[in-house]
Amino acid sequence: MNGQKKRGTRIEPFRHRIETDPKFFDKSWRKLHDAIREIYNHNASGLSFEELYRTAYNMVLLKFGPKLYEKLIENMKEHLEEMRASVEAAQGGLFLEELERKWNDHNKALTMIRDILMYMDRTYILTNKKTPVFDLGLELWRDTIVRSPMIQGRLLDILLELIHRERTGEVINRCLMRTTTKMLMTLGSSVYQDDFERPFLEVSASFYSVESQQFIDRYACGDYLKLAERRLNEESERVSQYMDVKTNEKITAVVVKEMLANHMQRLILMENSGLVNMLVEDRYEDLTRMYTLFNHVPDGLTTIRSVMMSHIKDTGKSLVTDPERLKDPVDFVQRLLNEKDKYDNIINMSFNNDKSFLNALNSSFEHFINLNNRSPEFISLFVDDKLRKGVKEANEDDLETVLDKVMMLFRYLQEKDLFEKYYKQHLAKRLLSGKAASDDSERSMLVKLKTECGYQFTSKLEGMFTDLKTSQDTTQGFYASTSSDLADAPTISVQILTTGSWPTQPCNTCNLPPEIVAVSEKFRAYYLGTHNGRRLTWQTNMGSADIKATFGNGSKHELNVSTYQMCVLMLFNASDVLTYREIEQSTAIPAADLKRCLQSLALVKGKQVLRKEPMSRDIADDDSFCVNDKFTSKLFKVKIGTVVAQKETDPEKLETRQRVEEDRKPQIEAAIVRIMKSRRVLDHNSIMTEVTKQLQPRFLPNPVVIKKRIESLIEREFLERDKADRKMYRYLA
Amino acid sequence: LGRGNRDKVQQFMTITGASEKVALQALKASDWHLEGAFDFFYSQPQISAVNTRHLEDIFNRYKEPDSDMIMVEGVSQLCNDLQVDPQDIVMLVISWHMKAATMCEFTRQEFIGGLQSIGVDSIEKFRGKLPSLRAELKDDNKFREIYNFAFTWAREKGQKSLSLETAIGMWQLLFAERNWPLLEHWCQFLQVRHNKAISRDTWAQLLEFVKTIDPQLSNYDDEGAWPYLIDEFVEYLTENGFVQRKK
Repeated sequence: MNGQKKRGTRIEPFRHRIETDPKFFDKSWRKLHDAIREIYNHNASGLSFEELYRTAYNMVLLKFGPKLYEKLIENMKEHLEEMRASVEAAQGGLFLEELERKWNDHNKALTMIRDILMYMDRTYILTNKKTPVFDLGLELWRDTIVRSPMIQGRLLDILLELIHRERTGEVINRCLMRTTTKMLMTLGSSVYQDDFERPFLEVSASFYSVESQQFIDRYACGDYLKLAERRLNEESERVSQYMDVKTNEKITAVVVKEMLANHMQRLILMENSGLVNMLVEDRYEDLTRMYTLFNHVPDGLTTIRSVMMSHIKDTGKSLVTDPERLKDPVDFVQRLLNEKDKYDNIINMSFNNDKSFLNALNSSFEHFINLNNRSPEFISLFVDDKLRKGVKEANEDDLETVLDKVMMLFRYLQEKDLFEKYYKQHLAKRLLSGKAASDDSERSMLVKLKTECGYQFTSKLEGMFTDLKTSQDTTQGFYASTSSDLADAPTISVQILTTGSWPTQPCNTCNLPPEIVAVSEKFRAYYLGTHNGRRLTWQTNMGSADIKATFGNGSKHELNVSTYQMCVLMLFNASDVLTYREIEQSTAIPAADLKRCLQSLALVKGKQVLRKEPMSRDIADDDSFCVNDKFTSKLFKVKIGTVVAQKETDPEKLETRQRVEEDRKPQIEAAIVRIMKSRRVLDHNSIMTEVTKQLQPRFLPNPVVIKKRIESLIEREFLERDKADRKMYRYLA
Repeated sequence: LGRGNRDKVQQFMTITGASEKVALQALKASDWHLEGAFDFFYSQPQISAVNTRHLEDIFNRYKEPDSDMIMVEGVSQLCNDLQVDPQDIVMLVISWHMKAATMCEFTRQEFIGGLQSIGVDSIEKFRGKLPSLRAELKDDNKFREIYNFAFTWAREKGQKSLSLETAIGMWQLLFAERNWPLLEHWCQFLQVRHNKAISRDTWAQLLEFVKTIDPQLSNYDDEGAWPYLIDEFVEYLTENGFVQRKK
């Protein structure tokens, strides 16, 4: 609305004509001063908060803020001086109580004073960046009382004294402690730290240093650790009860250092009670405690781990090099499995399944298992034993578990190709003698090996199974097709083994009895009729025969014997007595095998089918044999085994190893060629490393052999040395 | 040199009767085209000092009656005329110039090519050249070439390796010039421990060994990609206390 231009009305603020009373400040201050006194004297109830507040308000309004502030400081100091005197005067145990009492008083007073002077807090103090009233009160308390020369030292001493007493078993007033430390905290964390925490930590350090020295001389490791653990728990509890929570970490560090870190080596390596002893005796509780405690110590777990590793390596080494142990391969491997189980348990129960410990365990085992170069053979024998016994002894799940555990040991082997050779041999024996108890378990084992090592490892082994199955079918087919002619002939069961899948056997001479020759030739004709171009060779050293025998004393038995033994026995259908030489000539069986065969027929107690003249163990050319007419046995079917070593004899061992070494040469060459083909040019050391890496799943190649193979490849112009740098090799396309 | 180029060099030499050096020169100049190389060659002034006719005559003097080769007798006669012992190492140098394929045999091409390379066309001039030929052994690069040449040259026909006996003989001949202190040990070691033929790589690497490793073996590196035979030799020396190796 415009138009009229009027003179605007103004409303002026109402100005009081205030008489500036020169005595205004003094009067007002007097009011406050007295009020404060009453407050400190616990007499606040009679005061009017409103009036006091207004007084202070006016003072600040009329620009008396600075003066008021100064007076306040002066006044509070006076009261605090009084309080100080009172605290100093307190005797002994009453010191802390008096301090607490005065502190509470001061706090209450301070709160009220702050409330009264709140206006000043918000205006004068804020704009002039002065310390607010409450904080001011705390500072004054700190400087006047807590840091007063008479009180400061005494306070600290008393606190530490009480703590020490509590450590030695006395009960103290924790409440009082709590309020005291709380007071220090309220005064500022630097006050708490400087006036209490730091000295506390120092004193604790010396306390525990002394205590640990005493304990370690007196106690065994396990007990010492129990004490250390107890102390740690105590200190934590103490902190939670009457100290600031941040002190917990620091005091723990102190105890750990004094009680554990400083004595780490001595504790872990303590004779008869240290780590090694705990491991040997499966002391799970002690081990768990040690693990947990030393987890706090720098390098604690590293030390434990390395002590454990060397212990395992030592026990492992003595296990594998002990000549007594080596006599029984199955027991040998069982002990290894037991060791592994033991440590798996320890790591599981006490070491929290810590991966680094599992790795340490693995590398220790890998180290000592390979110290004995018969480990691959023994592990194969162990599996052989289990697969022969099959599910009879243990149920199927147990067998599976055992085989899985054996696979763990297998993984540690460096010479996996040696294991392969032995496994093949043992499997062949099992299959051909019909001793493979459970087909499922055999297959399951193959699957495990395939998973571990790949298809090449097991393809030949699988071939062996296939051969047997096919042979069954072939034999059936044979009989189905030619049944009429063979009514009188001995029944044969043929196993046709593909060369290459089965371990190579020397082919020995052996003259089979004519009846056998007849039927076996018919079989050969049948087989070659359907499989043109193949060649069959009878492996007379691997077969067996069931013979019906009638002895002079009338007893009839069915004898289960080897092919060689059958040839020998059949001779006695024509002659009553034969000398060794005659037998040798007729059968054409190699001397060593023949002697073993005769020994098992004539010299084994309870199974003496033949009688030998003279009865000596050795067989001379002129020794004579005849049928033992006095032969008896409880069973109708009698099995005559051959004296054969299950474990390899020394020359056989050597031969197997040589063959494995020979097999390795082409593998090394193939690796070298593969690497050079892709890299074209490579220096000597790199080739060595690469080759070793590539062959690692099968075996550890000998550096000298690698070098020789390189030279052979240079000879054959697959590689050449670089003209400029003789350490570099170049691939020749 | 690639296989194709090597063939071209051979062809060139066969057709022109020139030495390998000249052939290489010509072919390189013509960017490995045979035709161009021929042009190049024939347009060059011939090295007049060497008369090809004379060379043919000299060859014919020593060759076998029934083949186009100089064999043992011819060589013997040649040595006589040169007033040189057949075992003299200069014969090796000469054979190297000739690029002779086999010891004590020279084909026409080898012989003539060799004389051209040496730069002589008469026996007198040849005799005069002998000292300078011997001196060529002092040159490191030439020595290496001659040394490596010796392996192929001293081999039996059809063999890949050098028989131990021959090898030892050659080494004694060659290293007499170079004065290698471990020579005796080496020969003894081979006879006692190795007793088999020597491969080309071992032969070649031995020279490197002689040149770079000091007789106390202080700078011998086990990881140094030396042939295993040399590793075994070092072992042999240390075992028998002939050398004190500081580790």
